[in-house]
Amino acid sequence: MKSHRGFVWVAVAAAVASLSIAALTELLGCGIAAGGRSEWLVLRLAIYTIGAVGVIVLGWTCHRFDGVVASTAMLLTRRDPQSSQEATIPEVEELPEAVKAYVAAREALVEQQQKDLCDLQIRARLAERQKRQTEAILYSLRDGVVVVDELERLIMANEPAAQLLGFDPEAARGEPIAKVCGEIHKDFVEFLHQSALSKAEGTRREMVFASPEQLRTFDTIVSCVQEGQKTSGVVAVLHDITREKEVAQMKNDFVSHVSHELKTPLASITAYSEMLMDGEANDEETRKEFYGIIQTQAERLNRLIEDILNISRIESGLIKVAKEPVSLTILIEQQMNMIQKYAQEKNITVTRQTPIVCDQVYADKDMMSQVIVNLLSNAVKYTPPGGSVRVAAEVDETGDCVRVTVTDTGVGIPEEELKNLFGKFYRVAANNKHAKGTGLGLNLVKQIVEKVHNGRVFVTSKVGVGSTFGFELPLAAAELATAAV
Amino acid sequence: MTGNKVLIADDEIHIIHVVAIKLRNNGYDVVSANNGAEAYDLACQEHPDVVVTDYQMPLMTGIELIEKLRANEATRDIPVILLTARSFAITEEQQESLGVATCLSKPFSPKELLKSIQDIIYQRQLTAAP
Repeated sequence: MKSHRGFVWVAVAAAVASLSIAALTELLGCGIAAGGRSEWLVLRLAIYTIGAVGVIVLGWTCHRFDGVVASTAMLLTRRDPQSSQEATIPEVEELPEAVKAYVAAREALVEQQQKDLCDLQIRARLAERQKRQTEAILYSLRDGVVVVDELERLIMANEPAAQLLGFDPEAARGEPIAKVCGEIHKDFVEFLHQSALSKAEGTRREMVFASPEQLRTFDTIVSCVQEGQKTSGVVAVLHDITREKEVAQMKNDFVSHVSHELKTPLASITAYSEMLMDGEANDEETRKEFYGIIQTQAERLNRLIEDILNISRIESGLIKVAKEPVSLTILIEQQMNMIQKYAQEKNITVTRQTPIVCDQVYADKDMMSQVIVNLLSNAVKYTPPGGSVRVAAEVDETGDCVRVTVTDTGVGIPEEELKNLFGKFYRVAANNKHAKGTGLGLNLVKQIVEKVHNGRVFVTSKVGVGSTFGFELPLAAAELATAAV
Repeated sequence: MTGNKVLIADDEIHIIHVVAIKLRNNGYDVVSANNGAEAYDLACQEHPDVVVTDYQMPLMTGIELIEKLRANEATRDIPVILLTARSFAITEEQQESLGVATCLSKPFSPKELLKSIQDIIYQRQLTAAP
């Protein structure tokens, strides 16, 4: 259309110009006829040449003008800039409408783009908020979290992870994780690397990390973040299982200890029974001795099982408690008599301070007997031959509670072990060689005194000098008065 | 009378008592110790033909006693029977490397212990015979 219109313009211009020049030339020819003919020929040639050039220039200009009009018309008349269809080029008389349409379309486009921009801004704010919420969650976790990108550079790490791996999370952002963690944690870095290569969704491994206080074990889970076929990053979560491992180990040790303790009296019972059945006890006296041993060992076995069960019952709150006013002096006396034989075998003297007058406590007699005998037997067990054990009871300054102490000249306990002493299954490693035990006795003492009787246990000790174990209980009068209020 | 001597090491006096009765009734001489350290000293003095030791004892455990016996040229070749109340206390490899002749679990049968001692002494006599 454009080129066709152009040619029309040129043709019209050429026709007009030709006619004009011919007319002019004829008019000039008539006037010059009287003159020389050759000069007239040159003049006519010159005029025709100038005319032809002028026509060409005129035609080209029209053509260009036509192109500008066509382009402008196209811009003005296009309704949809994104449309692939060619717009209708308006005629010149249609231009005002075309301009209006163009402006309206542009305004609509601007409005749409502003809307889109607004949407994008809202989404960006929402994304930023979600990011902050996610970061807040990650940063508040007690588990360590480390995130690296596809090039194994640190994207983020929360405080527990940073503390464990020894870096500043802000300063290390963007750095290669191998550089951030260093040689000391190369196993962890290698684990991340292998997981990224394998594109595994979740790989789990127990890893040990060195900290200033101790070696700590972490359950480490590493997952790849995939975008299509490409790994966009790796996330590692480190869950501290040190305490769980310790507890599991303590339980294993406990089971091992308990089975040993249970099997020992059982071994005696079995062996003596077999001897009796095989007639190895030659006389009545020997047989009686064997029967007696079987009986005491069976009782020992029973006590051990009861200890284990009692601890379990106290902890679960299922134990039956029969509280009554009880004289601590009498209880102490009774248990001292029971322990005397054992003490004499080791040449240990067990003495008691002058009994106090006000010693009545509101307590379960059997349980308190257990407490006192446990403390006494421990004192004798861990005191070398020739040593001494002293039992004392006194009313405290307030007059509301009675304090009982058992002091020995035994091997003593290291300071750092005192806080764990009343824990279940806990045994002082350094004292294992001096005596055996299940690690239940003191725990049972604590459970009975504190949980059942609202009292308090305590211990002081010095290695090589001895230990003082004790407990406090409310006096019966004070307890009953409190109950009445 | 066999004339053979057996050292029993256990911190449980009743175990020592019942084993001693069984062995003496069958002609063995018996010496006893309540802990590993005492047992080692007795082994050096008495040169028993067999040592029967508990696994867990105060001052020195049964394993520590065996290691010490093996380290001493005078006691290196004494056969040892280990008594233990712990399950899986010692693996077969450990048993072999320590030279433990037999491992008996508690509660054990005195008859079975006697048979083990008899077998060990018989084997040594066969080995020692020209």
